[in-house]
Amino acid sequence: MATVAGTAISITARPSRRSLQVFNGISVVKSVSFASQRKSFPSIRSHPATPCFRVSCAAKPETLEKVCKIVKKQLALPENSTVAGHSKFSDLGADSLDTVEIVMGLEEAFGITVEEDSAQSIVTVQDAADLIEDLVCVKSA
Amino acid sequence: MRRLLRGDMLPLLSNLVSRRLVISSLPSLPPAPLPSRREAHLWYVVPNELEDASLLQDYRELLSPCEKENILSIKGEALKKCAILSRVLVRTTLSRYTDCKVNPRLFKFRKNRFGKPEVERQIGALWVSSSLQFNISHTSSMIACGITVDVPIGIDIEEKQRKPVNNILSLAHRYFSPYEVQYLASFMDPETQQSEFLRLWTLKEAYVKALGRGFSGAPFRDFTIRFEKSTDSVVPEQPKSEEFRIMIDTAFDSENLTANWQFALVELGGSHLAAICMEKDENMSGTEQDFLKLKVWKTLPYVEDKCMSETDAVKNISGLS
Repeated sequence: MATVAGTAISITARPSRRSLQVFNGISVVKSVSFASQRKSFPSIRSHPATPCFRVSCAAKPETLEKVCKIVKKQLALPENSTVAGHSKFSDLGADSLDTVEIVMGLEEAFGITVEEDSAQSIVTVQDAADLIEDLVCVKSA
Repeated sequence: MRRLLRGDMLPLLSNLVSRRLVISSLPSLPPAPLPSRREAHLWYVVPNELEDASLLQDYRELLSPCEKENILSIKGEALKKCAILSRVLVRTTLSRYTDCKVNPRLFKFRKNRFGKPEVERQIGALWVSSSLQFNISHTSSMIACGITVDVPIGIDIEEKQRKPVNNILSLAHRYFSPYEVQYLASFMDPETQQSEFLRLWTLKEAYVKALGRGFSGAPFRDFTIRFEKSTDSVVPEQPKSEEFRIMIDTAFDSENLTANWQFALVELGGSHLAAICMEKDENMSGTEQDFLKLKVWKTLPYVEDKCMSETDAVKNISGLS
């Protein structure tokens, strides 16, 4: 955690907490906020068309690959089926039980814990990989 | 014969807009009478029964431009078909409850602040006179739409035989309340444990969907679903069921997780579990509140509707009056 001396701003390494609801495959980003920055920055409302503000870098290719493998296994997709970063879980036929199972599978594979609201914020496979990268970073920091 | 034209179907009350948009060979839908306050209606479709490619094409034409675009990004014919059927089921079901005055194509949807889809009552110059509430759920082998008037509803369906990839107790430890974990752990037989897990899962899903908050707005760990043995003397006319009631406990300090909801759990078509959750009617006395009335239809829109209530296809597990 870094603090800028002389000001009240602090930046945590925690992943952005986004609250997304997924209903029947349609997801809506409710808001984006940083817990420790609430006084300095208002929560940013965004919708799927605008990029979400995050303090993180994109996932490493090997992370994404591992995630794709776990997703294919959970959804029982054939080996040669296309699961890429841009694939939406709902488009892959994942229902809510699949989603929580995938999250659990990812937690076990990467040794991390994904919070309930972040879990539901995952729309694409890339989102999942990015979130995992954040959490793995925090864990090893 | 691909489509059945029933003699008692009312003519579609079309308006200029719908005549311009819809040059369709689809016949009219039969209207459906509105559910009463304590009633939920459930319509379900079995994707495998749709084999006619041109009917699927006609269905696709009922979708909004946005929905059509979403379908394009789905890979795989089976998934595309389910996605189309899902939208068609919602649109045609809603249309039935407007006495078929509103063409299925015309419905517009918005989302509540948590993302739950709701239907707009104002559609151009038309006004949908009842506050229709709906909720959909789907598996690869069945899609269902629940309907109520005025009262929020949530439904969830699952294949009875669905076996989670992960260990059931691990899933429960991770997501369920301590009471529910204990409950599941009490079952030694893995198949029974699996079945009880699915029952809890569908009921919990139905609840968070009825609340309109979804999984992250109402974390599963924060409320408990339990099965309480009913005492016969209290409800003399209780139908054949496993004689238990579905109860919900929410944390004492929870503003958002309310407990005035009633549940029903049924087996559909011998293959699926369906959980239905709707708000209790405070005007009803005591235990009357606990049971909800359910009517079920199986449909292939514009082809066939079959009322399945009172048949073997709908088996009450708990909660139905």
